Amino acid sequence: MITARPKDYFSFLGLPRKLNIDMADLEKRFRALSRQFHPDYFVNAPAAERRQSLEQSSYLNDAYRTLKNPSARLEYLLGLEGLALKGAQEASKAVPPALLEEVFALNEELDEVRELRAAGAAAEEWKPRLERARAPIDAKREEHEAQLRILSDRWDALVDGGRENAEGQETLRALRERMLERSYINNLLAGIERELAT
Amino acid sequence: MSKVVGIDLGTTNSLVAYVKDGKPIVIRDSTGDALVPSIVSAAEDGTIYVGREAQRRLLTDAQRTVYSVKRFMGKSVDDVKEDARLLPFRLSSGSVGSEAKAESGAIVKIGLGEREFTPPEISAFILRELKRRAEDHFAAAGDIDPEVDRAVITVPAYFNDAQRTATRDAGRIAGLDVLRIINEPTAASLAYGLDKRHTGIIAVYDFGGGTFDISILRVEDGVFQVLSTNGDTHLGGDDIDSLLMRKVLVAPPENGSDERRTSEDVQRIRQAVIRAKLELSERDETDLLGTSITRGDFDALIRPIVDRTLEPCRQALRDAELEPGDIDEVVLVGGSTRIPLVRRLVAELFGKTPHSELNPDEVVAVGAAVQADILVTGNREMLLLDVTPLSLGIETMGGVTSKIILRNSTIPATGSEMFTTAVDNQTAVDVHVLQGERELVADNRSLARFKLRGIPPMPAGMPRVQVQFQIDANGILSVTARELRTEIEQTIEVKPSYGLTDDEVERMLLDSFEHAEADFAARMLIDARNEAESVIMATEKSLRAPEYPAVAVELKPGERARIDRALADLKGVMNGEDRDAILQKTHALNDATTHLAELMMNRSLQSALGGKNVNQM
Repeated sequence: MITARPKDYFSFLGLPRKLNIDMADLEKRFRALSRQFHPDYFVNAPAAERRQSLEQSSYLNDAYRTLKNPSARLEYLLGLEGLALKGAQEASKAVPPALLEEVFALNEELDEVRELRAAGAAAEEWKPRLERARAPIDAKREEHEAQLRILSDRWDALVDGGRENAEGQETLRALRERMLERSYINNLLAGIERELAT
Repeated sequence: MSKVVGIDLGTTNSLVAYVKDGKPIVIRDSTGDALVPSIVSAAEDGTIYVGREAQRRLLTDAQRTVYSVKRFMGKSVDDVKEDARLLPFRLSSGSVGSEAKAESGAIVKIGLGEREFTPPEISAFILRELKRRAEDHFAAAGDIDPEVDRAVITVPAYFNDAQRTATRDAGRIAGLDVLRIINEPTAASLAYGLDKRHTGIIAVYDFGGGTFDISILRVEDGVFQVLSTNGDTHLGGDDIDSLLMRKVLVAPPENGSDERRTSEDVQRIRQAVIRAKLELSERDETDLLGTSITRGDFDALIRPIVDRTLEPCRQALRDAELEPGDIDEVVLVGGSTRIPLVRRLVAELFGKTPHSELNPDEVVAVGAAVQADILVTGNREMLLLDVTPLSLGIETMGGVTSKIILRNSTIPATGSEMFTTAVDNQTAVDVHVLQGERELVADNRSLARFKLRGIPPMPAGMPRVQVQFQIDANGILSVTARELRTEIEQTIEVKPSYGLTDDEVERMLLDSFEHAEADFAARMLIDARNEAESVIMATEKSLRAPEYPAVAVELKPGERARIDRALADLKGVMNGEDRDAILQKTHALNDATTHLAELMMNRSLQSALGGKNVNQM
């Protein structure tokens, strides 16, 4: 089973670098490769082969876990294409320009709610306000999901047409932008959840 | 060729199985019993007894007898303070631990007779007994090489790294090459998957003597893929026993505590409690030390314990992104699943009747044997893909845990983290490895602390030390580190904070040869006692059975008195040293109860066949 160290998760699983994946097909490939590499089948093999089986099998499991999850898959693809999110994500504590209006309104509402709560207001007084305040953020998220789908489909079409190098960078950059905004939105929503829960 | 077996090393009972020509076989003693009580006892002369004999010694030498040792595996003294109050053992912190370990708590040692042992050593006594049983079995079958030198050993799915490592160490101390540590619920699913080539989503609910696990698997193309697992390594039949015990032991305050009771009294009560528990799985009412207890009372008492198994089930479903309705089959494993309340609540949760066709006490060992067979034959028909039950992380600034490998990741799995230095020319970095889901370091399980040394002197923040974490197919962690600027590589031995070093395991293996087990004669005596006990138990069960009064009228005059006399005679000699007397009285009791057994059998057949006499068939 001597196999060279694979280049990336997609090629290891024999898949093109596309963002829409047929899950049943992914599972099938995962099972087939597991049968090929799993350490259970190399218990009696020489040490070098045992080590290789452990490495390949670990790599396969990491690949499967990453590609199974749509966000992780996109993040991984961006990394492969030189547009890694990590670090950038941490740096983007600043509000994305596209969200300025919503974030401003939400923060105002949050401040008022906190004041109300500090003054001992009942839950039925501030809870509805918070619920109302999150509605535009929820709407933004929906919008982002839709944009991510459209951009993902566009990327996949470029891959199919063999043109991912020519026009791909632009699509990927747009995807990256949306991802950053989305993680900002998710943080906002998590903040509201925390406020509601306490 | 030497043999390989599958071993279920349980909290209450342990057993061993193997595969012959593709068929799993559970190894039993001469009385047909597969279960070896996980109990170890030391006689004054240093002889170590394991199993039934040790269980009997709980009633005569409770102070020299240890049970439920599985609860102590991979634990430090601090971890077991709670248990120590409930269990009558002499605990101390290990002198085995080297100085390096002192900072993170030392390994527990348990007093057994005049000596002290670590939990892996005590577990090794049980494993050696199972090994011997299997070797006797192969020798009796005329095998030219009956030696058992390799094994697959099962652990609760929710066992952490330290507990798994302790189990592997126990196997090595017992002289076994541990081919693989596998999870109990997953093993059970393999056993169930054997005869039915089915496909679908299975939930395995494993409620044993000391631990609870839930695993959700997808089975397809012969691949048994665990999607999620959850559980509680501190929840089982033991807790039900303790609850009943507390009910019985409650004494009026003016009488003081139970100090007047000897350890043997407490064990007698404990065994009565266990018997009552078992009986209430078969009927609606029983007697517990002179007081009647109904199943209703029992259910109300244990409900909080059973309820504690339900949240892990829901969490496992959430983690697998499934609804109860998505589960195609529910499989029950572990002795505690015989309790009707458990079955009812599981059926309610998943909305379907659970499977229990296979003996819930034996199914895990069968699965371990199947896995052992896969490992040695390389047969690729079936494949087990398990997950790590707990997230693995490291300590970061402010005592916060940063997760590196998430729970429910398929194993083997890897993860890596980059470290650097905080001050100029720093040459070492501390790494603290943790397991658990909580945010704060203090709330998670500390697995190991180590120092990355030999970092080349550089300005602060310049070195880039990549630490690679590898969880192997046993669910056990290893760590390597590499300084990327200089390509200096080092492998770090990560021993659990309260584990044993390789040298210690080696020494214990040698020790075990010096303190050889009971000799052949003692063994024969034990076998005779075991048989006597099973005949006594069968007789008493018949005499207490609900259908007994109906059968009694058919007994000949004086027959019951003869049975009672034979029973008393056998009990009188059973704990003595005279093997011939035990055999003779066992034989006598067998004779005295032959007619009764026939009548009982006839009776149960009649009710099964709708009232016809067997002779009329």
